[in-house]
Amino acid sequence: MKMEDMPLSGPDNTKLEALVHDIYSELVDDACLGLCFEVHRAVKQGFFFLDETDQESMKEFEIVDQPGVDIFGQVYNQWKNKECECPNCKRLIAASRFAPHLEKCLGMGRNSSRIANRRLASNNNMSKSESDQEDNDDLNDNDWSYGAEKKAKKRKSDKSQNSPRRSKSLKHKNGELGGSIGSEPYKYNYNTGISYESLGPDEVRSLLSTQCGVISEHTKKMCTRSQRCPQHTDEQRRAVRVFLLGPSAPSLPDADTVAESDSFDIPDGQALMSRLQWEDSPDISPTDSASSKASANHSDSRKPKKKKRTSLALNCGGGGGGVGAGGGGGSSLTGGCSSSSSSQSNLSVSSKKKRPKLSAPSISSIYDDLN
Amino acid sequence: MSKDSRMRATINQKLTEMGERDRLKELLRAKLTECGWKDQMKAHCKEVIKEKGLEHVTVEDLVVEITPKGRALVPDSVKKELLHRIRAFLSQHAT
Repeated sequence: MKMEDMPLSGPDNTKLEALVHDIYSELVDDACLGLCFEVHRAVKQGFFFLDETDQESMKEFEIVDQPGVDIFGQVYNQWKNKECECPNCKRLIAASRFAPHLEKCLGMGRNSSRIANRRLASNNNMSKSESDQEDNDDLNDNDWSYGAEKKAKKRKSDKSQNSPRRSKSLKHKNGELGGSIGSEPYKYNYNTGISYESLGPDEVRSLLSTQCGVISEHTKKMCTRSQRCPQHTDEQRRAVRVFLLGPSAPSLPDADTVAESDSFDIPDGQALMSRLQWEDSPDISPTDSASSKASANHSDSRKPKKKKRTSLALNCGGGGGGVGAGGGGGSSLTGGCSSSSSSQSNLSVSSKKKRPKLSAPSISSIYDDLN
Repeated sequence: MSKDSRMRATINQKLTEMGERDRLKELLRAKLTECGWKDQMKAHCKEVIKEKGLEHVTVEDLVVEITPKGRALVPDSVKKELLHRIRAFLSQHAT
């Protein structure tokens, strides 16, 4: 027998019991009233009878459970395989790629100006052959991340491998250099390379004993890959070592540059550095004026050699620059060479050959300091 | 009687002041929803409304129709539970 459930006994307790019941009734009435208010509000706001729509409407919005269709009855990838013709370029584009393509095709939208600016910038900075870029949606995504930029650069250079301009430059190179230095410098030397200009002869020697060391014609940087790096041939490596460390051998893979420097037996390392500039085009006019001083020095020390145009063209700078500034001196030397060549009214061999331009002016200043 | 009424007043006051009233209210509402009383009452409301017409039904109409039925439809278990709790409170706090 539970004491709690029994009504309170005694005369007072009847009153208490009555009180209890009264309180209970009050609570129940409160609940009922609350419900009435709720219902009345729902009725007046119109959502009371919502679950009693007619059968017709119910059928219209029934959940669809067929394969290939979502629950509303719409086909999921209806437009994925369709192709649309672009009104601008008249190409057939996949529907899901149509909007981004239009954005770039019409030159409107946020990313198209970014791409255009980047293209202009790269055109100005890089050599002509590098400037071709296709629109790449992925490039947009990689815009603002550092690591991705490297990737993008690589991709850029990868793409430019196949562009028409690229093949043009390849022709040049092949004609001039005997094709020994292939397209690899484009690809890999942006991120992996050492500038030999800043190295002393000992450092150069130690480097060359462990690394490939072939110098890119564009960046003037030594390849940091192993001795067996697949981008460069053994001949190239030998040529570089000869150039950097010892007297030139009679036959070297880089026919043009080697041939030009062949006759130029300069014992000091300085001269060797100039040889490295086989790619330098003496057409660089700024170098001429900038390194006229250097060229003057060269012409003095190289009188016997002046007979050979080729050597002059290549090596006139050699005498001037120290090994340390060889790289810088190299380009300036080349300019000096060209100036000295021109001064002698000799058409330098290099002038006949078109070579990629180097940033000679800055380098020549280093050379001047050394002198 | 006045003593009685005074006592009632005191008790009511205490009930409210101590928050017991609100707790009991919530308890009752929860229990009534749980046992389906609310749905039953709603269905009854629908009938009343359909009878009276959607546009013209008033709160008074509903109250008059609903309250007696509501009182009657409260399940016994719920009633007992509530009475028990009220008694407990009274025994605790009555003078």
